[in-house]
Amino acid sequence: MDGADPGESVLKATVADTLDVLSWEIELAAARSIYLDSVIGQMIGLLPETRKAEFLESMHVVDLLSQQLTGLSAFSRRMSGEVPDVSAHVSQALDQISLGALADRMSVALGGIEKGLNDGDGAGDLDLF
Amino acid sequence: MDGHGQRVMAVDNDRTVLELLQIRLEVAGYRAFIMRSGRQALDLAPQIRPAAMIVAAQLGESDGFEIVSAIRARCPDQIFPILMTGRGLTADDVRRALVCGAQNCMAKPFSGAEAVERIGRLLQAAHRPPPPAAGAEPAPVFYI
Repeated sequence: MDGADPGESVLKATVADTLDVLSWEIELAAARSIYLDSVIGQMIGLLPETRKAEFLESMHVVDLLSQQLTGLSAFSRRMSGEVPDVSAHVSQALDQISLGALADRMSVALGGIEKGLNDGDGAGDLDLF
Repeated sequence: MDGHGQRVMAVDNDRTVLELLQIRLEVAGYRAFIMRSGRQALDLAPQIRPAAMIVAAQLGESDGFEIVSAIRARCPDQIFPILMTGRGLTADDVRRALVCGAQNCMAKPFSGAEAVERIGRLLQAAHRPPPPAAGAEPAPVFYI
């Protein structure tokens, strides 16, 4: 029914937990865009007046992106407390995430085994810890 | 930016939460020190001398409440507010946090904006004159 390879371990999680983990990741994406927004703001401060208008539009787009992500995170967080107590297979959905470090992080948060993709160089994700 | 470079330590075993807190705190003007283990936080808190701390109640290999108690015991001369975070915190958990030396609790999941706002309020309360007594802990304020 789930279409998974019978030889593979299949990760199962509640929909509430899945939405919760998703909300954390969207919140992190929002934080990263807020950081980007602040960097653009600092760069604009260094530009001559004649060139500032070009970058103000970019800053506005990033600001909208931050707000969009923050809103989606709040929605997902709230929905995690509203859904009935049902579980679903998440392994195949996680396989759709091309950023290995992100998939690994979400898998661990949902009860899977850590593959260490967040620890090595070239993980394709920020390695801050 | 209104954090004025104040040092804030965040302790959580969840990488996503830590990176979220790091970015949000730094954009708000704080200096963030993030740690994935309670042991690491315990060892480094006396040297970092944070203005405030955020400690997760569930830290995987260690208990966040015990870590808060140990930090208070190890840094008796440092008066800084501690915010504890946790999933499904009960009234008993909040009481335990108070006994251990935390000033505030925040339920997971929370938003980055909420965390920064809460830290700002705790720091304001900690620096609000006049203090109740010389060397006293900041007055505990609890809300989840």
